[in-house]
Amino acid sequence: MDLIAMATGFLLILIGLFGALTNRNILRMIVAFAVANTGVNLVLVSVGYMTGRTAPILDSAVPVAEATARVIDPVPQALVLTAIVIGVGVTALMLAYAYRLFKTRGTLDISRYTDLKW
Amino acid sequence: MVSPIFIIAGSLGGAFLLGLLRDPWRGASYVISLLVLTFTTWLAGSWLWALSSGAVTPVEILTAGTQPPFAVNLRLGIAEAAMVLLINLTGLLSALYLKDTLFKQGRRAMAVLLIFSMALSGIVMTRDLFNLFVFFELTVISTGGLILLSRDPRALAAGFKYLVASQVVSILMLVGIIFAYHATGSLNLDDMAAASAALLRGGALAFFLVFIAVVAELKVFPANGWALDIYESAHPAFSALVSAAAGSASLVAIDKLLQIGGPAWMDVASIIGIVSFVGANLFALAQRVDRRLLGYSSVAQIGLILFVVGQQDILGERYLFVAGGVLLAHAVGKAGLFWLSGLVAGRDLTAWSALRGNPLLLFAFASFLALLIGLPPFPGFYAKWELVHAIAAHDHLLELALLLFGALVEAGYLYRWFGYAIKREIDHEPIAPSLYKRAVVCVAVLAGWLLAYVWGELSPHDNLLHAVPVLFALAFLALEWLPARVKNALAIAGLLGWFAFSYPAYDPLQLIFALIVLAGGALILLASFHSDGRRLGFYPSAMLMYAGLAMLIVAEDSFNFFAAWESLTIGSYFLILRGRQSEPHALSYLVFSLGGAFLILAGFALAAQGNVQFLLVSLAEVAEPLAPWVFALLAVGFMTKTAAIGLHIWLPGAHAEAETDVSPMVSGILLKAGLFGLFMLLMTMGRQELYGVDLAHVMMWIGALSALLGNLMAAFQEDAKRLLAYSSIGQMGYALFGLAMMNHLGWLMALMFVINHYIYKSMLFLSVGGVAKRTGTRAMYQMGGLITLMPLSFIAVLIGIIAMSGVPPLSGFGGRWIFYNAIMTSEYRLPMILIFVSGPIAFLYLFRLIHSIFLGQLKDEHRRVKEAPFWLVLPQMIYVVCLLVFALAPGLALRRVDAYISNFLPQGALSWEGLTITSEFGYWSPVSIMLIVGVIFVVIFAWLLFVNRRAQKVKQFNIVFAAERPYRPETTHYAWNFYAPYKKALGFLAWPVFERFWAAVTDLLHTLAELLRRIYTGNGQVYAIHLLAFVVVVYLLKEGL
Repeated sequence: MDLIAMATGFLLILIGLFGALTNRNILRMIVAFAVANTGVNLVLVSVGYMTGRTAPILDSAVPVAEATARVIDPVPQALVLTAIVIGVGVTALMLAYAYRLFKTRGTLDISRYTDLKW
Repeated sequence: MVSPIFIIAGSLGGAFLLGLLRDPWRGASYVISLLVLTFTTWLAGSWLWALSSGAVTPVEILTAGTQPPFAVNLRLGIAEAAMVLLINLTGLLSALYLKDTLFKQGRRAMAVLLIFSMALSGIVMTRDLFNLFVFFELTVISTGGLILLSRDPRALAAGFKYLVASQVVSILMLVGIIFAYHATGSLNLDDMAAASAALLRGGALAFFLVFIAVVAELKVFPANGWALDIYESAHPAFSALVSAAAGSASLVAIDKLLQIGGPAWMDVASIIGIVSFVGANLFALAQRVDRRLLGYSSVAQIGLILFVVGQQDILGERYLFVAGGVLLAHAVGKAGLFWLSGLVAGRDLTAWSALRGNPLLLFAFASFLALLIGLPPFPGFYAKWELVHAIAAHDHLLELALLLFGALVEAGYLYRWFGYAIKREIDHEPIAPSLYKRAVVCVAVLAGWLLAYVWGELSPHDNLLHAVPVLFALAFLALEWLPARVKNALAIAGLLGWFAFSYPAYDPLQLIFALIVLAGGALILLASFHSDGRRLGFYPSAMLMYAGLAMLIVAEDSFNFFAAWESLTIGSYFLILRGRQSEPHALSYLVFSLGGAFLILAGFALAAQGNVQFLLVSLAEVAEPLAPWVFALLAVGFMTKTAAIGLHIWLPGAHAEAETDVSPMVSGILLKAGLFGLFMLLMTMGRQELYGVDLAHVMMWIGALSALLGNLMAAFQEDAKRLLAYSSIGQMGYALFGLAMMNHLGWLMALMFVINHYIYKSMLFLSVGGVAKRTGTRAMYQMGGLITLMPLSFIAVLIGIIAMSGVPPLSGFGGRWIFYNAIMTSEYRLPMILIFVSGPIAFLYLFRLIHSIFLGQLKDEHRRVKEAPFWLVLPQMIYVVCLLVFALAPGLALRRVDAYISNFLPQGALSWEGLTITSEFGYWSPVSIMLIVGVIFVVIFAWLLFVNRRAQKVKQFNIVFAAERPYRPETTHYAWNFYAPYKKALGFLAWPVFERFWAAVTDLLHTLAELLRRIYTGNGQVYAIHLLAFVVVVYLLKEGL
């Protein structure tokens, strides 16, 4: 189960990177990166997963004393939450850039923005 | 003490507070931002002070009231405190610099700036891997915001390219982090370092991903196209932050990772670093836009620091000193240059000529360049010294060569730029009048000099900013407002005073050189009384050169010797650059000199085997397989300065195009530095054999060829100053030959040449310079018949060429006499023949001087020419007296030296009885020779007067010119191409083979740079592919290693 999740995660990363590097349209690139980020998050979660255990929430179902034996590793989950927030921030920033780029030149083709080179 | 967590909390709180304000309250928002940055700067500064004075120990900062690894922890040690101070101070200064822009953009931009410096401080302080990632992402987001501060519309695309690249980086980093966590069970960096073995075995790929992601954040060559675009288009104040602050923070991060990675990964960092250093510097050669050039240079410098970080295992406890020196010098220099670029209107490198209107900013420019290149007295100099010694001691010779090559290329393009600023037409807009922007630049200059002082104190050597000669030279910077004549008097007093002060401590050899440098320098400075006005820049440069020379001759260890060597090189470069047409020549002088200096550095470092304080006398104890290589490196380095054939191409232009009073300084005095070095080398190391070849023998051949070819090239010159310049190559060839003979008389002859060449070359440069000043030309065929109008100059030239050609009765003959005695005792015959042949050739060019300038027909336009100015003639007349005295009583100077040389080479000393000097082959009586020659001269002269008493004077226009006016009138002039027949016969020897060779080398480098930099196509996707390719290549190489 966790292997399937991890493999899917890596597959998504590769699909995302491939999409970001082959699509010239800036919006498509941003979407592709979002796919890749989802893949990364999936990998993160799958690393923390342990078969047969429950969510790391301490309540009546999982008393504190038994927590170490019964819950999965909570750290990757915390990391994923942070990573998602950061991913949203970066995606928003990229979208803002896309908007302003389109406004200046009327195109979203990244290969048209090569004034700076060499 | 206030907890350092407030460095983070303060900025964060400030940014939130800005969010609560109303948009129109720009002033209040700006003040809050400045206050926050001042607070964090103060906090970091106070911790740095307390930590460095030992008042407190490094602190661990826990968060959430829990021990790591269950909560994030931060650490502040002395290195971290210094970096955090650097980041926040740069932030504060950039905020000041950005005042107008921030007012226009409002509180949001200010908040982003605060977040940026907070994130960088966090990268430095955190001890948690995931926290490191978070701070990196915060940097990315705030960078994305701050790029938009620029008014350049291209910045928008640059920012997007940056975001694309950083997305790739963050994917790599996150995947790496999670598997590293999986392998070690902790995110705490110290825990990971403890579990390093397990991590590197099981999770090697995970560690690699984190490592390479941080390396990519350093913008290393060649996976850095997006970074270069940002440097070019962003606001210069932000580029300063990226280069100085963000670069430093990422370097700290890589250092933390290497604590986990250990030596194997340090090697990887070293290789990436050195490749980045050389590659980016090479590409920078082809740049014409200032900020992009600075971008390439930033990449190179950060590569260099990455290299140092990778060498920490061999640097040991000196690691922080070396890395800190290079890093802080880079940060201050680069930030300063970016800030300065904001004051210059044009983006082409030549637009920096606008700085010429403001001496203070020009001084700032020069200081920043010196900081970057690591010239004395700046921190990079001390740091590079120890770095080079460490890597030489561990036999990392390839790295050593690459390091020095990269540094030379860097110095080349940076000083080419400085040459543009000094020499190119000012046809651009003036520099921006903004006062606070200038103030920010001045703070950077102060910081640079302060660091220079601190690093001098921290180093095991004498602080260069405590050396009296250097301080004396720097004092002239503060005295620039005085009239030139007052400064000149001060300079002369300083040289003579230092000579009198140091006199008792000199040994005879040092005394000869000190006499030439200090007393001789003062004598040449008499000619400088001719200049009026303020002569900005002349005295600091000249005095820096003299300071270097004065320190060189008394240096006892290799560090002081090398520091003096670089000082005199830089001082003389500025001096030569003052000539009207000297821009390319000064650059070629500097590149050759620094190239030579780097060879000397490599030689010393190999000899010292890691001992950074190495006495020069210990050169004698260098062991066998190394000794000849050390000898060769040092000898070639010194021969660059004496312009031995093959390394001579800088000399003619540099000496000929210099100002009238500068030519004698750089010819008569500066060339002797190389000879002094060779004396020192031969006295300590003696004869060395490399693959069975006697190196002294090779030097002898080089000397003989220099003498022959130098003289020959001199004979074919039309320009009088170039003629003198080429003749110096020949004269130095003689001296080199004498030294390389390795016998008593050879050395004595070399010293005789040291003295003679100083006197007659200084005198001739002054008189020819005076003639050129009056006639307005340096081409000899355009002169003629000046004997009656400029009699004193004529006398000086006459005496000068008699002395130089080595005919009796003047001192040149003494030199020849010792020389002939010396070669009688030498076992090599063939180079001797060359030396013999070059003697008559010297006659050819010397004759031309007197014949074409002073004899023959007076040109019509020179009828009203007056004698050269008094202050130019006065030193010449003093030289005439010196020559006569030295001719009559050579023992005055040579006797003691003769005895001194006997300490090293006892065989063949001369006997000095009365006024007669005796060798084993004969005797030389200067006084009787003078009398005999005088009598012959008077008799022949009287007889000529007698037989010519009825001769009729023919005036110039007593003939009729006919036929057409030739297209190039000079071709019909008899003094043009004077030695055409000889040129036909021997001209092939004077072909500019070496000029072509060195031109081909530089062309090759430029073409390579021009061609290869096209990998940076400008397309963001291509940059991302570069990045991925870089990651794959590094991984494959690492696994293959």
